[in-house]
Amino acid sequence: MFEFPRVKLGAEELALRSDVRQFLADERANGGFAPVADCWVSAASPEFSQKLGSKGWLGMVWPKRYGGQDCPPLHRYIVTEELLAAGAPVAAHWVADRQTGSQILRFGTEEQKQEILPKIAAGECYTAIGMSEPQAGSDLAAVKTSAVKTDKGWKLSGRKIWSTGAHYSSYMIVLARTSPAEGRNRQVGLSQFLVDLSLPGVDVSGIKDLAGIAHFNETLFEDVELPEDALLGEEGNGWAQCMGELTLERSGPERFLTTFSLLSEALPAIAKNSSDAVRAEIGEMAANLRALRRMSLGITKKLEAGDNPETEAVVVKEMGNRLENEILARLRHIVSALPCDDLPDGFSSLMRSAILHVPSNTLRGGTTEILRGIIARKLGMR
Amino acid sequence: MEQEDIEFICDSLERMFQDADLEAIDRTGGDGDDAAQFWSALEESGYPLLAVAEAEGGLGASIADCLPIASLCGQYGVPAPLVDAVIARALCAQAGLSPSAMRIGLATRDQGRLSYGSQVEQALLVDQGQCRLLAISQDVLTPLELGEDGASLIDLGKVQVLEECDAPNWLTPESYRAVGAAIRSAQMAGAMRRILDTTLSYTGEREQFGRPLAKFQAVQQLLSDMACETAAAAASVELASDAMRADLQLGPSVMADIAAAKIRCGSAAAIVAANAHQAHGALGFTWEYSLGRFTRRLWQWQDEFGAQRHWASVLGDYLLSDNEANLWEWVSA
Repeated sequence: MFEFPRVKLGAEELALRSDVRQFLADERANGGFAPVADCWVSAASPEFSQKLGSKGWLGMVWPKRYGGQDCPPLHRYIVTEELLAAGAPVAAHWVADRQTGSQILRFGTEEQKQEILPKIAAGECYTAIGMSEPQAGSDLAAVKTSAVKTDKGWKLSGRKIWSTGAHYSSYMIVLARTSPAEGRNRQVGLSQFLVDLSLPGVDVSGIKDLAGIAHFNETLFEDVELPEDALLGEEGNGWAQCMGELTLERSGPERFLTTFSLLSEALPAIAKNSSDAVRAEIGEMAANLRALRRMSLGITKKLEAGDNPETEAVVVKEMGNRLENEILARLRHIVSALPCDDLPDGFSSLMRSAILHVPSNTLRGGTTEILRGIIARKLGMR
Repeated sequence: MEQEDIEFICDSLERMFQDADLEAIDRTGGDGDDAAQFWSALEESGYPLLAVAEAEGGLGASIADCLPIASLCGQYGVPAPLVDAVIARALCAQAGLSPSAMRIGLATRDQGRLSYGSQVEQALLVDQGQCRLLAISQDVLTPLELGEDGASLIDLGKVQVLEECDAPNWLTPESYRAVGAAIRSAQMAGAMRRILDTTLSYTGEREQFGRPLAKFQAVQQLLSDMACETAAAAASVELASDAMRADLQLGPSVMADIAAAKIRCGSAAAIVAANAHQAHGALGFTWEYSLGRFTRRLWQWQDEFGAQRHWASVLGDYLLSDNEANLWEWVSA
């Protein structure tokens, strides 16, 4: 039904992991960062991204000629899970490294690859996702943004919403309609465009989230003139390409580690003060985390083998979102009984930001209900 | 044992399970001619001695090798103490006990339990550095609350000890319980797979409001949760199995993975059983319909060899044993 192949980390992987752990320990010690919950969305630090770039830890799976390292997906997995577990400020480059770069590598022109990928790999170029619209959320095929062919290329009109980091991004991959739906089949006639956000007619305006911070945006495209090569991949193949991009978006360990750094930070205080009941709660969360991490690692193996882990990614995201929220809910109760002095400095503001980010875990990248529908389809129920 | 040998054994056992009318045997509570015939077929196959060393007439499997077989037994709802006998015979052989029976169970002191109590002739007990072989008769047994497959409380004060010897160093009451927890986890994972299949076919066929139940989003969500939980349970068993294979003497890190499996399979079992019954409606609540054969066992196995809470404490203690506790190292190990 689902396949989560076994993965055994070899000497090379273990060495890479200890490099990353050492780097993170040093950075923390030097004041390079303090852990943040939901770090891949809410903690953008171009400086930190550039440090990762100079380590060779961005764009790792891309060919060397485009600034990558020719590494297997497993290596990228090891780096990303360490960054997430530590709550490092990785938001700036996250989307570019995870999905946009890979879409460009797969569908972009040679010129685009040479121009953009090395910058992403250096931690200097950031990108945003252009899928949702005000009237098209879970029902993505309802997008109204359109691109019309012109003499010089394309003219793009419409608006995208919830685009995290668009305000510091150079590019956005926009899903737009290029020809009408065929009757009830709305998945035809869609195309992906690689849009330079500095072009005239593009307007990015921030939307404040529940915590009052404008990490995401509404992006308006008013008759934006795009060059011909802005079309990414094949005209009319946008839906399939977008589903591939969503698999990259959903398949990583960020889908269950959002609140992990809080648990980690509180652990010494818990160890010092805990009752049997609390220790058992830690055991329950740990058991759940370990099984999910094992499954998540298996997805990487599937990516490596060139298989499409679409449903497996959805399974891990669905359970992972439940788990990260459960961790926070339990932690709130556990921490409330601990002496404040035992908790690290700034823990309560870390907690506040995590609590205020919770609702988005089960929404972004596909709501729980949409994910369950995808799983049900795999089970043959629809 | 090689992977292909394990697969061969699983295939041949699966054929035996398919040939026997396990549901009918189950209805008789493991008594009667069909049950006796099924058990003698199992004995003749030699599989009860699966994990006894080859030099001692067995097939030389490790306990980790037995987990896929335990899963298979869970998947078929095998109404016989095959898995427990395999483990009991293996541990007896390691300890130097020589049981005369093949139908032999695993007794535990702390909870005073004996799974498959009414179906076994003898049982192993690991207790205070000793391995004891017990003679089992009905007068030392009291059926447990659920009592699936004859699971019983055992009166250890009254039971006759047939033979005893020093336990191997690694075999403490806690590691003995861990072995039991590992096989029950594997059985649960197998039973969940079966329950998922059964519920998928039922909701695909049963129509209400003019369409199959499977077409209702609310029902799809029940099944989606079941599928996720089943997959996570299987993953946790695989982790435990890999750990056991790497350290046959069950050191602390192996115990942690077994604990995690029993916890994860237990929490999955709760959701899978509840959702399956919800999707089946009243039919699933009947004695006649086969769903109960599997959900009753899930509930039974959740409690055996340490319930979820016990193992959660074991794992929590392991992870928090010093103030330098590094949860991430364990999760990502």
